[in-house]
Amino acid sequence: MAVLEVKDLCKTYVVNKRQNNVLKNVNFSVKEGEMVAIMGPSGSGKSTLLYAVSGMDGVTGGSVLFDGKDITKLKSKELAALRLDEMGFIFQQMYMMKNLTILDNIVLPAIESKKTAESKKEKTKRGEELMRKLDIIEVADNDINEVSGGQLQRACICRSMINKPKVLFADEPTGALNRTASNEVMNELVKLNQEGTTIMMVTHDAKVAAKCSRVLYIVDGNIKGEYNSPTGAAVQEKERERLLNNWLMELGW
Amino acid sequence: MQMLLRILKNDLKRKKTMNAILFLFIVLATMFVASGINNVVTVMNGTDYYLDKAGVGDYVIITMGDNAVGALDEMLETEEVIKEYRLEPVVYGAQGDITTEDGKEAECKNTTIYQSIESSAITFFDKENEAITSIEPGHVYVSSNFMDANNLKEGDIICLKHSGVELKLILDGIAKDALLGSDLMGNTRFVISDADMQKLLENETIYNHYQGEICYIDTEDVQAMKAAIADVSNVSFDDPRSTIKMAYVMDMILAFIMLILSVCLIIVSFVVLKFSITFTIAEEFREIGVMKAIGLSNGKIRRLYIVKYLMMAILGAVIGFFASIPFGTLLLDSVSKKMVLGNDNALMINVLGSVLVVCVIVLFAYFCTGKVKKSSPVDAIRSGQTGERYKNKTVLRIQKFPSGNALFMALNDVLSNPKRFLTIIISFGLCTLFVLMLVNTTATLKSDKLIHTFGTKSHLYMTDIAEVMTYMNGGSKEKLQERLEEQVQKLGAEGMPAELCIELIYKYPVTFNGNDYVISCQQGVNTEITEYVYTEGVVPSGKQEIAITPQISEMTGAKIGDIITIHYGEEDVDCMVTAYFQTMNQLGKIIRLHEDAPTDFSFISGAMHYQIDFTDNPTEEEIELRKERIKKLYDNDKIMNATEYCIECTAVADTMESVQFLLLAITLIVVIMVTILMERSFIADEKSQIAILKAIGFKDSAIIKWQVYRFGLVGLMAVVLAAVVSIPMTRLCISPIFGMMGAVDVEYNIDPLQIFLLYPGVVLAMTVLVTWVTALYTRTIKSSDTANIE
Repeated sequence: MAVLEVKDLCKTYVVNKRQNNVLKNVNFSVKEGEMVAIMGPSGSGKSTLLYAVSGMDGVTGGSVLFDGKDITKLKSKELAALRLDEMGFIFQQMYMMKNLTILDNIVLPAIESKKTAESKKEKTKRGEELMRKLDIIEVADNDINEVSGGQLQRACICRSMINKPKVLFADEPTGALNRTASNEVMNELVKLNQEGTTIMMVTHDAKVAAKCSRVLYIVDGNIKGEYNSPTGAAVQEKERERLLNNWLMELGW
Repeated sequence: MQMLLRILKNDLKRKKTMNAILFLFIVLATMFVASGINNVVTVMNGTDYYLDKAGVGDYVIITMGDNAVGALDEMLETEEVIKEYRLEPVVYGAQGDITTEDGKEAECKNTTIYQSIESSAITFFDKENEAITSIEPGHVYVSSNFMDANNLKEGDIICLKHSGVELKLILDGIAKDALLGSDLMGNTRFVISDADMQKLLENETIYNHYQGEICYIDTEDVQAMKAAIADVSNVSFDDPRSTIKMAYVMDMILAFIMLILSVCLIIVSFVVLKFSITFTIAEEFREIGVMKAIGLSNGKIRRLYIVKYLMMAILGAVIGFFASIPFGTLLLDSVSKKMVLGNDNALMINVLGSVLVVCVIVLFAYFCTGKVKKSSPVDAIRSGQTGERYKNKTVLRIQKFPSGNALFMALNDVLSNPKRFLTIIISFGLCTLFVLMLVNTTATLKSDKLIHTFGTKSHLYMTDIAEVMTYMNGGSKEKLQERLEEQVQKLGAEGMPAELCIELIYKYPVTFNGNDYVISCQQGVNTEITEYVYTEGVVPSGKQEIAITPQISEMTGAKIGDIITIHYGEEDVDCMVTAYFQTMNQLGKIIRLHEDAPTDFSFISGAMHYQIDFTDNPTEEEIELRKERIKKLYDNDKIMNATEYCIECTAVADTMESVQFLLLAITLIVVIMVTILMERSFIADEKSQIAILKAIGFKDSAIIKWQVYRFGLVGLMAVVLAAVVSIPMTRLCISPIFGMMGAVDVEYNIDPLQIFLLYPGVVLAMTVLVTWVTALYTRTIKSSDTANIE
């Protein structure tokens, strides 16, 4: 069942009276439990697509059905509620509230949400469990600038997961991390996906994209190709990377 | 250099709002500093400048009553300490002499004085501070107090009726009267033409009973003058220049309040300027880092910012300079209505003030840009985070916080970084504190708390100057008592059983420690000395005992237990000082006499109001009704309750209240400016955090609430602090002023509703409102901006 369905999505910016069509009639869908990567050269519209389908940015035309509901028709308040309860976000820059501890940053959306009747204590406990799961519980009471980039991004993942979202959107989640930290973060995302969370991410990194079940390749605002990663434990990670690289080279990557 | 200018131009363009607000603050700071310094110089020299310009001299004597003319001649001719003297003839009148064009009795303070401009010995000034040199027959100049009290303006006509003489006079404007123009001196002087004066003097009654003289003496020995005047009769006033200066104390208090306000605004301006300069530079870490990375030296980077602030400071100072001239005039306006305030270098001082602001801003910029040295190219990469801070600064924990996210984040922000919010607390707190101190002062002046400094508390007070004049012209204590009895009968017949009393002021020669003085002595008729309030000692129990004020103690050196000799005409009585008391009459220079003291009406110099005490315990409402009935019964508007009587006596409550409102308006302007500037700065700084909150699903309203709560909390801290401190601060700052007027120990009328609720509430409500309006800007920050934030 498709949790996200994008139909004829267009996005146009007007800069200095010049029209710039960033997304041109984009169509695709994401099934529940899928992990989809969006790749493409710089300026191709990857991030714009991610922000448009997650309701963070408006669209010029087309529709985005999230769980059957057209989010392009929603008011800003309804969109905010949807983002709070049904979506999770991870960004390349690990933005967090400066004056809060890591744990408080993670719990913040849960306390804002009225999705469950849990008490603050229960929500905090859930935040701690997530941190334990992502192996960062020891920095729960630290300030945000007292932890490493990898730990901070894992904290961002915890925050994005705190309200048990249907879909997790990630914009270059490993872009600001070194190789080790990047691997750690991706392993966590794969684990979350395996546990049933739908993930849609933008990445430049083929190694990262190779962990996804599907890759959409976007050029000049159009989806130029779609790649389904071979599944099954028999296919080694290196092999998946090699196959994806071959496909990308065919598209001119 | 060209590159620097280009960066500068882009900076000014890119951060329009921040730069505009900063610029506005420079203008305001210049305005406040330039006018403030000018006011300091003007106020410091205020009364001396005015009295010198008017030619008041070192000592003033006023005579009144029968045989007043010529009473001073012998003393003036023989006294060696007199260097020079100027004598002017005057005619005294009563309050009811003057009516307005519609036939209504005009409100005058105390005895009226008529005098011709030609024979005046001092200079009177018009509203433009120009000397009045001539007055057409049928025209008159009068003090601003009289004009304001009767809603009169230039060109209006008043009617003077005195002992059968009737003059219609056209008001030419206000006369600034250096001797009698202050509220505390209180007489209303009408300056008329010589022709009109002659018409008055042609009347036999006026000529014989209502003439007097005012003498301005230049001398270096004020004490000797006091002794010399001891033997002169008909003296109703004799005091040195210092007393006349003191009479302007309320005007000078207002001037000083304006002065303190100016200083306060200067502090606020500089605190905010420092904040915005530091904040701007902290915000520029990335650009500074990049500039450093490409090899620009610290000096060049600092120069860039210093040039920016210098340019803004120069432009702002020029505008601020021009604005400071009318602003300074506005601040001194309430004072200059009665005084000629000024200094000969006003313009130069304003220029210097403006230059000072430019220098201070550049200095601020220089010191604040010192942080550039600490900023490294890495800052540009790490978004300003060096990771070198180990001290945990987060204070609150969300799970333990009893309220929602918005309040939690707001409080946590304030507690985590209190230094950042100190600017608001200082500026809002300081301004609110000043407002509250004035509120306390005004409330006290508008209450009956000061009643014991004017006499005893009665139900009603009644003025009848014409009657007082009759006592001074050949009256006696017996006659007065008869008159009081008549009044009692009259009121009783009207169903208002009452007792009447009055306090009389005599001028008696007094000797202590071999020094002679002439001191005002108060004695009640139909009152007992035990009914008054004393601050120290034992109530005098006979004619050999007296109470004195701290001012008399200071003047003579007499203390409790000392013996002062009072020369009661034919009898000299050695009186022991048994108590101290406080009074605002005669600026506190009073001796209180026992009712048995052998006073004589030939030494009388004035009378207080008739005091009416109803004997049938009427309710407050009934007293108010009786007040109106007595007004009609005596055809006298001057029937007052205790509160109105205090307001009448201090005469400054209304002016103080208008200053209080002006101060509140200035405070609100400061609140608006500071809030906009700081909230806008915070939004700029927190753009990424706001965007991420939106991205994770926070609604606009939740973010605005966070911002509003934060400023609300800080505003609340400032006003609560100001409210709590306001009561001791009022005692600390205002009591010495009341002390100068004679009231050493003042019980303030603190209205908790005004101090803890109304005024702090107004300041807080304005803070919240302005923050809310400014925080609406956060709606323009989109969740997708997370991708574009640097």
